[in-house]
Amino acid sequence: MTSKPHPSESADNWEAQVRKGWLELAILATLWDGKHYGLEILRRLEHSSDLVVAEGTIYPILARLKKDGLIASEWVEAETGHPRKYYWLTPIGRRRSAAMAGFGLRFISRIGSLIEPLASEDKSK
Amino acid sequence: MSHPNIQTKIDAYLMSLRRALGSLPPAQVEEILREIRGHILERAEAAGELDEKRLVAILKALGRPEDIAPLYEAEALLERARASWSPLLLLRGALRWAMVSLAGFGAFIVGLSGYGAALALGICALLKPFMPQAVGFWWGNGIYAFGVADAGEPAAELLGWWIIPVALLLGAAALILTTRALRRLLRLARFRPAVS
Repeated sequence: MTSKPHPSESADNWEAQVRKGWLELAILATLWDGKHYGLEILRRLEHSSDLVVAEGTIYPILARLKKDGLIASEWVEAETGHPRKYYWLTPIGRRRSAAMAGFGLRFISRIGSLIEPLASEDKSK
Repeated sequence: MSHPNIQTKIDAYLMSLRRALGSLPPAQVEEILREIRGHILERAEAAGELDEKRLVAILKALGRPEDIAPLYEAEALLERARASWSPLLLLRGALRWAMVSLAGFGAFIVGLSGYGAALALGICALLKPFMPQAVGFWWGNGIYAFGVADAGEPAAELLGWWIIPVALLLGAAALILTTRALRRLLRLARFRPAVS
């Protein structure tokens, strides 16, 4: 007997994949207007998206974006007692985020018209 | 914040994160811990009166150390493997990649069979002086084999002692080609952290 994945299980997995795909751009977008540290980035993400499920996952992404040269970072002593690591976009990062955002928006608007009729029947909203 | 239980819980979380980050360079581990520690403390301060229940919620929202650490590690291992000529490190990198994608699995199979062939050829060359009858290249009389075999019919063996340099050369070629292929393949690898 093979166990078939439960329909809602594969839907959850699909949602996780979509989140995964958008999270990197969303993180870059939070840095568009200047320097921010991890928790600030998280708060901004919470405010404007439901992308982050486990908060700790944004730190490895920030580490990778830094290694790829899209963002830079520095430690700043804060009055709270513990230092904060601030991140900001590099010129390469700005160009890359702009290109990703352009692609993302075109993508949404095209697929949007295709899936809109389906969404009007969605009862989970 | 002063509650001993709470401090112990934070320390325990950071300790298990440190353990899970084990194979990263120490300086990077310190930096990661510093950042995560700052996150916990700041969330704790924002919570006002911090009790154990609140702290548990903060740590839960952060995620389990054993889930976070591999996201750093996969990248780091891959980074080292890409720059390396060591078959072992390259294979480890490919294996790590294989756990998250089908392309990685393909790369791992390429590495395994390439290095396997290189190893087998090396063993052939090594065994020839000790078992001259059993190592050879047989073509014809219904036997088609290269390597260590129980062929029985010596007439069909084509290479004789030449099999040592030929096997060594082919083995070296397999080693070099596999290494180059793996380095190239690993450069294509990208880890996307699991979000859920």
